[in-house]
Amino acid sequence: MNASLVRRKLGLCLPALGLLALAGPCWSAAAHEAIVTSQPSDSVSFVDLTAMKETGRIHASGKPAGIALSPDKSTAYVTAPDGKELIEIDAVSRAIKRRLVLGGAPLGIAAHPTRPEVYVADWYAHKVIVVDAGTLTVSGEIAVGQSPSGLAVTPDGRLLLSADRDSDAVSIVDIGTRTRLASVDVGNRPFGITIDAAGERAFTANVKSDDVTVIEIATKKVVGRVAAGRRPYAVALAQGRGFVTDQYGGTVTVFDQSTLQPIKRIEACDHPEGIEADADGANVYVACWGDDVLLRIDPRSLAVTGKAAVGTGPRAFGKFIR
Amino acid sequence: MLKRLLIAATIFGVVPLALTGAAWAHGPSRQKVVQSIEINAPAAKVWAVIGNFQDASWIPAVAKTEGKGGNDVGATRTLTLQNGGVIEEQLNKYDAEGMSYGYEITKVDVKVLPINDYSSHISVTADGDKSTVEWKGAFYRGYMLNDPPPELSDEVANKAITDLYTSTLAALKKKIEGGS
Repeated sequence: MNASLVRRKLGLCLPALGLLALAGPCWSAAAHEAIVTSQPSDSVSFVDLTAMKETGRIHASGKPAGIALSPDKSTAYVTAPDGKELIEIDAVSRAIKRRLVLGGAPLGIAAHPTRPEVYVADWYAHKVIVVDAGTLTVSGEIAVGQSPSGLAVTPDGRLLLSADRDSDAVSIVDIGTRTRLASVDVGNRPFGITIDAAGERAFTANVKSDDVTVIEIATKKVVGRVAAGRRPYAVALAQGRGFVTDQYGGTVTVFDQSTLQPIKRIEACDHPEGIEADADGANVYVACWGDDVLLRIDPRSLAVTGKAAVGTGPRAFGKFIR
Repeated sequence: MLKRLLIAATIFGVVPLALTGAAWAHGPSRQKVVQSIEINAPAAKVWAVIGNFQDASWIPAVAKTEGKGGNDVGATRTLTLQNGGVIEEQLNKYDAEGMSYGYEITKVDVKVLPINDYSSHISVTADGDKSTVEWKGAFYRGYMLNDPPPELSDEVANKAITDLYTSTLAALKKKIEGGS
């Protein structure tokens, strides 16, 4: 039994690989684990990020794609565009708890950082659906631009940003009043959107213009643009650097998060898609749709340092590391 | 195979005009097809046949390849099919040493191939005196909105690409092993 499994079973947080005597109650339920949606294979894989090994896989019908985690990271919310559903998964027991039929084409998803509330982008209806995560029912809708895809919430839980793909713009939504405050023009066909830890800047991966747009959230203005590889999908941030998955290029474009200057283009894998750094920024993980693996990149050396086989067609669009 | 598709598309009628307006939207789910074949020939010999992006004559459905940019990333080619259909493609990745390349379709009518947003990766792997060719495709079905008509479904798109890969790889094996 590996360490993360022990932690899950005991519900304990081990401060290090150290003494059991130091173990305490696990407040965050952090497991150093990735939960990877594999769309064509209707499955969700669980990957131990310490061992870089898949430790479990469950069936989840409806072509699961988007993912978000509850504030304590013990629950995963997965969108299934074909099933037109939101699927709630207990990340600890790895069981599907509940399903909510939303209709339309739910894809992008984000969770509120403190409240039990989840936001789901409806690709065809051009709105964001607000879901009460406690009752798993729809509690409201927010009109945004055309074909909203990636969603992200500021760390203070005040604003929701929606990459409105077919409007070439990002909606900035006030979560309290559920109203759209602004629409900011970005590059062509923004897909993934990521907000920095300070909640100051948002980064969109623009599928058609092969670049990243940088938005200053407070002023609602574009403050920069970074050239990426072919067909960028999503952005991760770690060690003061931005990492962009280039789907068709098979690369990860790295840039300086402050100066926005390019650093390197890493040869990654076939169709890199979902990307996220772990909590301390020690590693960046990439779902490789074409190669059926989760890749690990060292954000300092920019070397590929590991990979784990997962289900066919991993997507992991959203926040998938707990 | 492509001819059959074209006939099928003709029988099923014209693609709804609404489709063009939604050309940027995704279908709900991207499809994936992977086919491979073992060839009794060294990898270098196989690569010599398929490794030139400007020459798709190893694909039986293709009548003519015209393009520019050689094998540089960003190179383009226009394939004219035996049945008259036209496919425009762009090279996104090329690794002569690793014997692989990746490309996308930049323009095709769903009547020619019932897919959208197609990208592909092809590679040759050596195994002693033998080699394996792997062809991977990523694409959406021909209908980009929910609830597609049957002729533009995921199943039809998957079958079209699977048939294309299977028949083309079989022909490639025959061509190389046959010594022609």
